[in-house]
Amino acid sequence: MKYLIDKIGKTNTSVLFVCIMFLILELIGHRHGETSIEDILFFPAIFGFLSCIIIFGIAISLRSLFMMDEDYYDE
Amino acid sequence: MMNNFPPGFVMIIGALLIPFLPHIIRQIYMLVLIITSAYTLTLGFGIHTKITLMDFEFILFQSDPLTLPFAIIFHVAAVLNVMYGAHVKLWNQHMAIMSYSGAAIAAVHAGDLFTLFVWWEATAITSVFLIFAGKTKRSYGAAFRYLIVQIGSGMFLLAGAILLMSETGDAEFKNFDINSLYGQLIFIAFGIKAAFPLLNGWLQDAYPEASEIGTVALSVFTTKLAIFCFAKSFAGTDILILIGVFMTFFPMFFAIIENDLRRVLTYCLNSQLGFMIVAIGIGTELAINGAVAHAVVHILYKGLLFMGMGAVLYRTSTCKASELGGLFKYMPITAICTIIGAVSLSAFPLFSGFVTKTLILSALGKEGQVFAYFMLLFSSAGVLIYSGIRVPFFAFFANESKIKSKEAPLNMIIAMFSASILCILIGILPSYFYNILPYQIHYQPYDFSHIVGQIQLLGFSALAFICLWHFKIYPSEINSTILNSDWIYRKMLPGVCLPLLNLVKNLNQKFYKFLEYLFVTVKNIFANTMIRNKVFDREVGQDTLIVVQLFIVILVLIFMWKIYF
Repeated sequence: MKYLIDKIGKTNTSVLFVCIMFLILELIGHRHGETSIEDILFFPAIFGFLSCIIIFGIAISLRSLFMMDEDYYDE
Repeated sequence: MMNNFPPGFVMIIGALLIPFLPHIIRQIYMLVLIITSAYTLTLGFGIHTKITLMDFEFILFQSDPLTLPFAIIFHVAAVLNVMYGAHVKLWNQHMAIMSYSGAAIAAVHAGDLFTLFVWWEATAITSVFLIFAGKTKRSYGAAFRYLIVQIGSGMFLLAGAILLMSETGDAEFKNFDINSLYGQLIFIAFGIKAAFPLLNGWLQDAYPEASEIGTVALSVFTTKLAIFCFAKSFAGTDILILIGVFMTFFPMFFAIIENDLRRVLTYCLNSQLGFMIVAIGIGTELAINGAVAHAVVHILYKGLLFMGMGAVLYRTSTCKASELGGLFKYMPITAICTIIGAVSLSAFPLFSGFVTKTLILSALGKEGQVFAYFMLLFSSAGVLIYSGIRVPFFAFFANESKIKSKEAPLNMIIAMFSASILCILIGILPSYFYNILPYQIHYQPYDFSHIVGQIQLLGFSALAFICLWHFKIYPSEINSTILNSDWIYRKMLPGVCLPLLNLVKNLNQKFYKFLEYLFVTVKNIFANTMIRNKVFDREVGQDTLIVVQLFIVILVLIFMWKIYF
């Protein structure tokens, strides 16, 4: 625990633990979604994590295409 | 007499007095105007005011279950705007906001397309002054572009209304068929105001250039008025699902790389409008309720986020992520209110966004719209990192900023606090909120599946952001301009058309030179061969006489030949 706090900081450690708690919560009751694929164990967690990485990846790759100087329109 | 006034009308007429009132009395007067306007909402549903002009019956005040939630939230937002802008002593922005709010409220109650057109254009003309109030060179340019686009959208609406009138004989504001030409024209008019993909440039161009109080007002009315119009006229139109899906995820990528935090919020606004458009496209009672509910809470939490960023702009004179950071120390209340807005936006359970987003997702699930459902879920995860975390994080927490500032003025804090309370109350007591929606539903957002699913989705999205930040994959913010669809008319069209115009101009000049040359040449030929000392010259009378006589003789000969042969 102390190692984790030293390594990644207090806030990040607490977020990590809260996330693990959210996973444990799923085991307590029966979670079902609007579609059958959502019934896979920890689906929202995996979907959320991967979505953000994908969105971030696409956004960063778009930087070279859409990012211009600050005074691009003023020239 | 007062009962016959359409809601909002009192605010527009009353706004004329605003320049003549001293500062504090003006604020109280504006609140009285809003309350007077809101009083007319108690009249119940039905048509309340009509006038006949030029043999056409204008329905000025018509209310139904769909107008009520929009009318309520527009009045609430107008009150919040008055509170938020109370520190501004000059009258011009107050007058603009009051008449703008009034025009939007009156537009919601229009019963025919011509009345709607009048208020539609009124919202454009009154709101443009809020962008001018940004008082920068950029804001002047943005204001003119905004005005052209908004007036243009009104022209589409007018063309649609006239066509409808000529085809059916009346122009009632009701459900329209997308397959007809008038339906398509009206659809484009609404689509421009709802910031559809590729028609959205004006939104990200103009809103962030407005003054700090102007952006808050702008974020409330124009786009939500378009959402109302879609819900009234195009509910259940399938194409809206596709457009809405595209709208929800496309702006996300731009929001992540944008540096101006108010512009990030406009991309986010655009994405949330997509949620409403998808729901309207579904068109079931649950979906329409979801769209209306989402529009209502979106006004509150997006207004709150814009208020937070407006306060930051007011105190630090910048809203750029690359220049901000560490402001929590100096502006803790603003920070907390902004976080409440961000949490509501991200749809955390117990906050307003959750009780409306689940409505839309459930409606999609029930209709078996799997693709749209997962795209919206994808956007729900994304909204947390591009706006929910990013905006408060870069303004108040990330790297220590060199800017030191004071907490926001008291009036701003009161407005932000009120909006925060409303966001939380709607989240905690959704059943009371659902009562104002157009259709009676029994929906329970707080069940085990919804809660666990949503907190896992958001928790792990946050974890993804933390991983990206911790492992330094998240790039540092740099001052930049992100190209958007306004690039088409700001750079591409001038880039293509100006050389073309120059080409036409050059060709035109050459053509005129050629004509001139031709004229001079022909003139010279005549002069050389005929006039100077030649047959037609007056000085040489005998020659001329001979030629004329010969000419007459030939004519007579031809004439006789024609008669006798």
